[in-house]
Amino acid sequence: MEQSHRSHHKPSAGNKHAKKDAAQGIDRTGGKGFNPKAFTNTSFRAADRAARRTAEKDQRRLHVPLVNRNPEERKVTSAKGQGMDEGKLPPPPIVVGIVGPPGVGKSTLLRSLVRRYTKHNLNQPQGPITVVSGKTRRITFIECGNDLNSMIDLGKVVDLVLLMIDGSFGFEMETFEFLNILQSHGFPKVIGLLTHLDLIKKASTLKDTKKRLKHRFWTEIYQGAKLFSLSGVMNGRYPDAEINLLSRFISVMKFRPLVFRNQHPYLLADRIQDMTPRELIRENLKIDRTITLYGYLRGPNLPPRNAKIHIPGAGDLEVKNVERLSDPCPLPTLESERRRKMGEKAKLIHAPMSDVGGVMYDKDAVYINVPGSFTKGGDAPQGEGEKMVMDLQDANRTFADGIQNSEIRLFGHSSAPLEVSQQQRVRRAAAPRSGGPMLGSAEDEEYDSAEDGEDFEDEDGEAMVDGLDDESEEEEGDVRYAESDSDNDDLEFATGFEQDGKIVNIDDEDVDGEENDDIEDDDDDEEEDDEDVPQWKRNLSDRAATSFAERMGKRRDLMSLIYNSELSPEEIAAGKTRPSSADAESSRMAQGDDLFQVSKEENKGDEGDQLKEPVDDEALKAKWDDEEMLNSLKEMFISGPVGEVDAEGNPYEEDGEGFEDLEDGDENEEDGDGVPYVGVKPSAGDSGVDHETARAQAAAKKQAALKAKFDEQYDNDSDEDGDMMDFYDQQKNEMAKQRQLNEDEFQGIDIDARAQIEGYRSGMYVRLEITEVPCEMIEHFDPRFPIIVGGLLAAEERFGYLTVRIKRHRWFTRTLKTNNPIIFSLGWRRFQSLPIYHLDDHSIRNRLLKYTPEHMHCYATFYGPVSAPNTGFCAFNSLTDDSPGFRVSATGVVLDIDRSTKIVKKLKLTGTPYKIFKNTAFIKDMFNSALEVAKFEGANIKTVSGIRGQVKKAQSKPDGAFRATFEDKILMRDIVFLRAWYSIEPKKLYNPVCSLLLADKGDWRGMRLTGQIRRDEGIKTPLDINSAYKPIERTTRRFNTLKVPRKLEASLPYASKTKAVAPQKKPTYLQSRAVVMTDEEKKAVTLLQQIQTLKKDKVARRKEKQEERRKEHRKKVGVVDEKLQAKLKEEKKERFKMEGLKRKREEAAAEGKYGKKRTRD
Amino acid sequence: MTTQAGPSRDILRFTTHRHLRQRLLLSILSGKSIRVDGIRSDDVHVGLRDYEINLLRLAEKVTNGSTIEISVTGTSFLFHPGLLPGGNYTHTCHIGRSIGYYLELLIPLAPFCKKPFEINLYGVTGEEGRDMSVDMIRTVTLPHLHLFGVTDGLELQIKKRGSAPLGGGQAIFKCPVVRTLKTVQFLEKGKIRKIRGVAYSTRVSPQFANRMVEAARSILNRYIPDIYLITDVYKGDDSGKSPGYGLTLLSQSTTSSLHSSETLSVPNQTQTPEDIALKAARLLLEEISTGGCVDSKHQWLIALLMALGKEDVSKVRMGKLTAHSVQFFRDMMLFFGTKYKLVENSQTGEVDVSCIGIGYSNVNKSMA
Repeated sequence: MEQSHRSHHKPSAGNKHAKKDAAQGIDRTGGKGFNPKAFTNTSFRAADRAARRTAEKDQRRLHVPLVNRNPEERKVTSAKGQGMDEGKLPPPPIVVGIVGPPGVGKSTLLRSLVRRYTKHNLNQPQGPITVVSGKTRRITFIECGNDLNSMIDLGKVVDLVLLMIDGSFGFEMETFEFLNILQSHGFPKVIGLLTHLDLIKKASTLKDTKKRLKHRFWTEIYQGAKLFSLSGVMNGRYPDAEINLLSRFISVMKFRPLVFRNQHPYLLADRIQDMTPRELIRENLKIDRTITLYGYLRGPNLPPRNAKIHIPGAGDLEVKNVERLSDPCPLPTLESERRRKMGEKAKLIHAPMSDVGGVMYDKDAVYINVPGSFTKGGDAPQGEGEKMVMDLQDANRTFADGIQNSEIRLFGHSSAPLEVSQQQRVRRAAAPRSGGPMLGSAEDEEYDSAEDGEDFEDEDGEAMVDGLDDESEEEEGDVRYAESDSDNDDLEFATGFEQDGKIVNIDDEDVDGEENDDIEDDDDDEEEDDEDVPQWKRNLSDRAATSFAERMGKRRDLMSLIYNSELSPEEIAAGKTRPSSADAESSRMAQGDDLFQVSKEENKGDEGDQLKEPVDDEALKAKWDDEEMLNSLKEMFISGPVGEVDAEGNPYEEDGEGFEDLEDGDENEEDGDGVPYVGVKPSAGDSGVDHETARAQAAAKKQAALKAKFDEQYDNDSDEDGDMMDFYDQQKNEMAKQRQLNEDEFQGIDIDARAQIEGYRSGMYVRLEITEVPCEMIEHFDPRFPIIVGGLLAAEERFGYLTVRIKRHRWFTRTLKTNNPIIFSLGWRRFQSLPIYHLDDHSIRNRLLKYTPEHMHCYATFYGPVSAPNTGFCAFNSLTDDSPGFRVSATGVVLDIDRSTKIVKKLKLTGTPYKIFKNTAFIKDMFNSALEVAKFEGANIKTVSGIRGQVKKAQSKPDGAFRATFEDKILMRDIVFLRAWYSIEPKKLYNPVCSLLLADKGDWRGMRLTGQIRRDEGIKTPLDINSAYKPIERTTRRFNTLKVPRKLEASLPYASKTKAVAPQKKPTYLQSRAVVMTDEEKKAVTLLQQIQTLKKDKVARRKEKQEERRKEHRKKVGVVDEKLQAKLKEEKKERFKMEGLKRKREEAAAEGKYGKKRTRD
Repeated sequence: MTTQAGPSRDILRFTTHRHLRQRLLLSILSGKSIRVDGIRSDDVHVGLRDYEINLLRLAEKVTNGSTIEISVTGTSFLFHPGLLPGGNYTHTCHIGRSIGYYLELLIPLAPFCKKPFEINLYGVTGEEGRDMSVDMIRTVTLPHLHLFGVTDGLELQIKKRGSAPLGGGQAIFKCPVVRTLKTVQFLEKGKIRKIRGVAYSTRVSPQFANRMVEAARSILNRYIPDIYLITDVYKGDDSGKSPGYGLTLLSQSTTSSLHSSETLSVPNQTQTPEDIALKAARLLLEEISTGGCVDSKHQWLIALLMALGKEDVSKVRMGKLTAHSVQFFRDMMLFFGTKYKLVENSQTGEVDVSCIGIGYSNVNKSMA
């Protein structure tokens, strides 16, 4: 029976309603606002419960605040013009890994998701696939193969894992292995997906299975972890409704930064290219290659120069060159996205390894495979003309946009690029502008706001007539820009502007989208500045300052002097801008305006490594004897005059730093060489207008400072009020502040210069050029295996001994043995090393352990690349698929790094006494020479019986013998031993797992275990005969009888005489008598005997009976058992059969039926 | 196979003895090996000086796993840096340079040791014209470290003073360990609110110190009343082997920015204490006039610690850059690949130095 639900009531709140209310002037607050009394609890109990609930909620909210190194996601708000902060670097796409055993439906899911986001049907999804999932977010999907190497590598970079579980089969070992890998490298978010549930026919079984799997999943992740179930496959995809639901979950997922990823820049390469000249490869097939890798940067900034990286599976490499490319999969722009829904055009996909739509991107070219006439998505080659036409299809920017973003300069020395001002779009006259050669001027503020307002209206209309507005808006665009005009496109082509996010490369690619963005940024900044000052007035002082500075020729680009010129440091410090021709003249000149002498760089003498600079005493004295000079410093002191005094002696309103604001104003108008103009305080000789402007600005600045101060105070006060979250909120505030600073500091510098200073930021799409890559990486490249570029910190290139806390995994069946090679996955790296296990012995020493303890942590020390303490790792005995059982053998965390180790093992030296005096004994056989004894003089020794002693001095005669003293007399048969400690160094083995370089990626073989080698080589375990256990024979000790000489016996006093008594010779009284019974006694004895006999008989019979019953019972049980055994056997048979089938299918799938929909019976 | 065990492949090469200490320092911090060639090849006395060899020995002493190979002629050496274990050390410095010369290497290293660092240094405590005296290090350098969160347990004790040329002084330097340095924003230089100073004398009349204080006050009194110069006269065993005297001055602003100067007596030159004090005071004024929030002799230290911070922007306003700092910026580029953003104010000559930290964390510090 269909149950009728109550329908939802119509929404009465939200943006739409707020807008409507605002338009109609309705105030729904009831004129009073929020009434806190209205919602208080009436009963004490409820209040208490509510309070506790809030407290708990507050506590749950608390996590250790972590800085997020990725750029923040944009915020889409309904407010027009400020919602999508374009120009800002968007965060990199979220990496979503699809993980599961083979045949579980990973490719199907990937296809379904890609189809859901982009309407593309991928036949063969391979490698990372980036799609735009919404206005704020992009997603990179990657399928993870079933081999352990891929799982380890991907586990280190994915943000979200879609863990697929075959519902009809249950969890497989790989799933648990993967979860354990995740656990040791920082746990990303996990969503479970149950598939093949359609194979379970019975509803109740299905329910039970789901419940069972869910609970198992929860114990592994956390209680209440999300577990989806996907029903059957339709048209090679999962049902749209379920995929929609899943995509919603993905799109709202929030991520917490992981510590390791917050410290290391990394990149998931979505494209690899071999750049080695063909000729060189022809000459030598095995030559080291130069490759380029492409991908979105993540984590902290990648150093711009010689960044050290590790590619898991390929080894440590160095990035020769980093280049920022335009985003191949950009987020929709505000321009194109005025609607609530994302336009179809913006639903981009970037999957170079999958060959989507036949488009391939390269540094200097875009390859398009055109199958038919001008349609995308084929393989046929194309001519130049065709290509051009194809490019035109991709144009999504207009000519005006291109020009606006261009970098054409009218003259070589022009400071700003030519710009088409936005006036073309204006329907009103722009505000008057008073003179000045302002090429790179700011946008008109008023105009913009007017347009915004208009847009707002547009949008309103849109919201109501949702479907229609699409065309109308585009039409509008057509009218304005003549979007699809081929002339414009030609020009764009010629100027090398961006089209559809790709570079149409003419000769260099500096003319890039990002620069343009920056210019826009600057303009925006300026707009946001003071609003009250009219446009023409705004830049007056700046311009004046600039021109003044230029006139004076004072402007010095310190950075280029230091980093790009050949000038000696002394010359730079002396303020020179051009290298001297080594003549004394110029150095004297430099000396002229400074007290400090410019010392010439010489390769002799003691100078050149000192902080204090040589001072010219006379000049110093002359300078600071001058009264004016002395007075000029007064303002630097707290007691000095307040405020700055200008040339006329009028004090400024601002104190001390009048030039500051000018400079700040300047910074917005930089032309990209990285150094802002340095403003100069306008002198009184300049026009009065300048002075006034400066004054006004000073006032404005002062006001702003005061406001900031007030805000700060006010905020602090409010913090103190809510003192519960004080520390937490404070930390978060600090982080936010620092983040803002990080963003602002390099704002407005040209993009390349900026990257040179701060490195390449997270979210950029970059191309890394890497040299000296082993040729096998290219030769055996397989897109199914992910290529990850992990940045290394300065310390991580070094090698040393790592001490880690380690615990054997409780599912790993064997114990781990010292000096057996195991494979560590630590940091980015996977490598084999030889660990030594040890334990802390009474905090005195680290004592070697032969084996890891059963259920306990212990320490391990091994040689390997340095990793920061507190880094987690997991270890494996073997990475191959053929190893049975659970493969994660141990997990742990790095504790300490050093160049030497202090692990010891116990060493017992034994010796025997050869001569014993009272408390002194001479011991031999412990040492071999007197020198050895000398080393151990004063060492503690002990006998087996526990008598303690000390080594005294070596004896000359038998080599290695020594005199020792004991606390008591020892016996000749006592063994004397000396407890010593022998230090052990771990063996230096670092064997990186180079799985990516193999033709068969899963078949990496490292150093074998000793036992494995013996097994493989058929060598028997060497057996030292002395180590063999033999039965211990303990002969009974025989004591000699004590014989006292007769003479002595005679002389002893009676008490001390031996009390030997001779044995009795005659029989005792009882022995010599016979017993005769009376009749009565005889009778009684017979009766007793009879009773005994009867009882014995009874017991025997009872036993017999019992045995009979038992026999019967055994028979019965035997039948049942037989049945059970038969049943078990049947079940076993069935299971093996299923497994065999499954394996066969897998093999079939591996043999090239990859991606084909599999059938199940 | 591209990866190999052992020390990293690249060795940075330098020539001449110039800036030897900063290269040694950066080498230890970055873990990159260095090779310096052509040391004083134009000099009559070719090769490394004794005090430089002494410095190399000190570097070897405070690190674990370092190797130094010095060529026969002493004109080149190869240095493979090790890790910093920390702990207690004693070192007798060569009297060719003062203790400050050695401390300038040790101070930036000390916070990155495994255990708290403590070293007992014997030698010359102060020398005119080349290195900072222990007084200046104690009163100026250590407060600069406070900016970066190196505070608790940071101290320099001057046990004995020993003037050049024979020395005989003793100083104990103690430093705590840190995991990461704080990010610094220091742009407000503020106004100078007090001037402090130390006038010391060894093996000369104690009046010398008082005379220096008087003379310094004659210049500085016009600016600020809060001037407090202490006289520090060491006697007997604590006063070292040679006569000497000197004055260290420092000014502190409302935002705790420090500027300092010092002048010490030069052996075998007749200088009145007044001369010395006046020169020190004038140098302080000169230093103040260069502006900035940090002392010019500590620009390199601040720049280094900024770069070694977290991956956040640090920004500090410095006075006119010294030649030493300029070379230091260049060397930072080589060792750490750090490029600073330098914005010079052409009017005041002050330079805003900003950079992003490289996320250097103290890997030596053990977890447990």
